[in-house]
Amino acid sequence: MIRPQKGKLILLEALLLVAALLFIMPVVLIFLTSFKPDAEILRFQGVLPQAWTLENYRELLQSSAEIPVLKWLLNSFFISGCVTLLVLAVSSLCAYALARLDLPGRKQMVTLIIATMMIPGQILLVPVYLILNAFGWLDSPRALIFPAGAGAFGVFLLYQFFKGLPKDLENAAAIDGCSRLGIYWHVALPLSKSALAALAIFTFTGSWNDFLGPLIFLESLERYTLPVGIALFQSSYAIEYDLIFAACVICTLPVLVAFLIFQKHIIKGISLSGLKE
Amino acid sequence: MKRGSFVYHLGGYTFTFPYLLLFAVFLIGPLLFGLGLSFFSWEMLSSESPHFVGLDNYREALDDPYFWRALKATAWFVVLAVPFTIGTALLLALGVNALPKRQGFYRAAFVLPTMINIAVAGLLWRWFYNSEFGLFNAALNVKVPWLTSAELALPSIALMTVWWTAGGSFLILMAGLNQIPESVYEAGAIDGVTGLRRFFSITLPLLRPALFFVSIMGVIGSFQVFGQTYVITGGGPELSTRVLVQYIYETAFRNYRMGYGAAMSWLLFLVIAVVSAVQFAVNRKGEPK
Repeated sequence: MIRPQKGKLILLEALLLVAALLFIMPVVLIFLTSFKPDAEILRFQGVLPQAWTLENYRELLQSSAEIPVLKWLLNSFFISGCVTLLVLAVSSLCAYALARLDLPGRKQMVTLIIATMMIPGQILLVPVYLILNAFGWLDSPRALIFPAGAGAFGVFLLYQFFKGLPKDLENAAAIDGCSRLGIYWHVALPLSKSALAALAIFTFTGSWNDFLGPLIFLESLERYTLPVGIALFQSSYAIEYDLIFAACVICTLPVLVAFLIFQKHIIKGISLSGLKE
Repeated sequence: MKRGSFVYHLGGYTFTFPYLLLFAVFLIGPLLFGLGLSFFSWEMLSSESPHFVGLDNYREALDDPYFWRALKATAWFVVLAVPFTIGTALLLALGVNALPKRQGFYRAAFVLPTMINIAVAGLLWRWFYNSEFGLFNAALNVKVPWLTSAELALPSIALMTVWWTAGGSFLILMAGLNQIPESVYEAGAIDGVTGLRRFFSITLPLLRPALFFVSIMGVIGSFQVFGQTYVITGGGPELSTRVLVQYIYETAFRNYRMGYGAAMSWLLFLVIAVVSAVQFAVNRKGEPK
């Protein structure tokens, strides 16, 4: 890339800094506002709290009967954790077999799986709801975990990655008497750490931030995930902005931490997912 | 065990089995089931058992003013949100790409909002847009009815969507810009291609694949908009922000009209497929030969 001259560069960076602040500010505001007393939230008196308080958090965690935030938090962790493990396990096994094993029909299978990525998710809502209903899985974490395992993105991403692995390592392991499962486990997976990490972080944040699924498939208050709980308690109670902001921080923190730690993998994952052409 | 033998194949297929089972039960199965369902009248709460009605659900949708209204709101949202999101993402990507350092900071800043849950993001922007004590009106010292006017509500939600989603397109465009070889620019510089001409005759054509990808994904995603409108306005005022997915949601999961809901989601799929096909055709036509 040919760089602009110094003067232009300063102007450019100033503009970008303003844009970056516009993008970051709303998120920072959630955090700052969660430390403001109620009255200060309603009458906006500047970005920083004038009287810092932890009262909102205390009240939120105590009002556990109507607003079981901790329960929702645990539900979210449990569901997103299980979804991530399930997706990593089933898609890496399947992608490995399709990419590295000599199986008849694998090309067609890959095409079929990747083609389903073009299907808009909402078209599955009604039939999946009825299937879950028939299984008796509605209003249970299973309703969100198992359907998520069917997503094609993981297979697609790992298939691309496994295809690029060098054959020699596999052959060497096979000569040493390693079984196919052993090669998958001891050779292919360790070589794919970055792809697996990217998939894990995409899957975890995707599941954590899912809104429509939990809204439809869960029914009872104490089974909700955090986002659905938050959305519900703003609509069915008089808006208590103080509590809402504290709940929003609790909902945002896990993905934010994951994002900051795994930022590099997220970037890598985007370039891994076949956009290079 | 010999390669190509029956036992070898069987062993290999067992690797694919767990995924394909889920794939069959929760993707291919529901897809076909949903299509079949759309030809049935299936009112879950009624005593009547599901029965075949042929194309009646589709006919009903085409005669349903609320369906058209929701489709119109959805299409309007796509028209508002997609170009502004991609335009913003493109400007940001070009800017960051030209920086010699600190690219990581800007990348993180622009991607950050995409990590925020829609319930949280929606609530936050509802507060920004509040006409009584909202941040925007307070900061700008105006009285704009951001969400309470039927004309402004959808553009307001589109604006929030630009903030929320531009980071994703930004990343893909950054990846696209990084793949343009330095030598092309150097060759251009020798021929005296600079400034805006360099952008239009080198950067833009070479960025086409990435731009095409973000516009296809943007259109598909925006036709499925739901979280924003549901959390921020709940579909109001006067149904001006009730998009198609929300209407389907209400039909199927509030009124339990499963057949009609399934039919409308296939109609939405059809609309998306047609628009994507047009995008593909336009892209192919404009491709440099």
